[in-house]
Amino acid sequence: MPRATNGPTRNKARKRILKQAKGYYGSRSKHRKLAKQQVIRSGVFAYRDRRTFKRDMRSLWITRITAACKMRGTRYSAFMNGLKLSGVLLNRKMLSQIAIEEPAAFDQLVEIAMKASQATPSKSS
Amino acid sequence: MRTEHAASARRRETFVAKAGQVERQWKIVDAEGVPLGRLAADIAVVLMGKHRPEYTPHVDTGDNVVVINASKVGLTGTKADNKLKYHYTGYPGGLKAETFGKVRDRKPEALIEDAVRRMLPKNRLGRVMLKKLKVFPGTEHPYESQQPETMKV
Repeated sequence: MPRATNGPTRNKARKRILKQAKGYYGSRSKHRKLAKQQVIRSGVFAYRDRRTFKRDMRSLWITRITAACKMRGTRYSAFMNGLKLSGVLLNRKMLSQIAIEEPAAFDQLVEIAMKASQATPSKSS
Repeated sequence: MRTEHAASARRRETFVAKAGQVERQWKIVDAEGVPLGRLAADIAVVLMGKHRPEYTPHVDTGDNVVVINASKVGLTGTKADNKLKYHYTGYPGGLKAETFGKVRDRKPEALIEDAVRRMLPKNRLGRVMLKKLKVFPGTEHPYESQQPETMKV
């Protein structure tokens, strides 16, 4: 009876790991052990970064809205407060896109926001 | 990060600036009497591109900045006489110190470039951004043909 080993299975497992490790730096894309470690690690980063991605994007939109507001002589916080008071429900992603693609529309948004914040007295007074 | 596949399947909703497609403007700022740190903070924002809604963190979207009258930059309080700039010559005991006032007289560009550099990101992109800063001790500069726009500080 021929001796049965798990050679084919081992080769398959190794190939599966190396396929996932394509493009990794140095021997991390070539050696079974290092590739396996890096694939696990990369998965951890990917899981974490799918979550931080959402925060990162939100902070990018805020940075862009801030820049657009400063150009028009107002502040981010005053602008957002004005929008809230006037009942504009656009989110930050859309606002930042409007600032880039439709500067004229953003001018009007600033106008609406400023009007609303002047009409409503601030809470502190 | 979103993969290439997902991006092509539906329209990418957030704008991403492309290196090489950024329209760069020129700005000029008069440093006379402006406190060094405030000047550097405003310049750094423009060099990073954070003054434009197209700002993209991994791309240099900033404008070029020309600084004139660097030798007349403001130093408040007693900083001109008391605050020291250090540099190490590489020899034992070679730590040299010079007051801010002396540096301003001897090499005004160094004072402003140092302050701005330390306010920029400490990475490859930060070093590229710094190259757009041109500092001149007097009112003369060779960028007249770029028609730089006056910048408020």
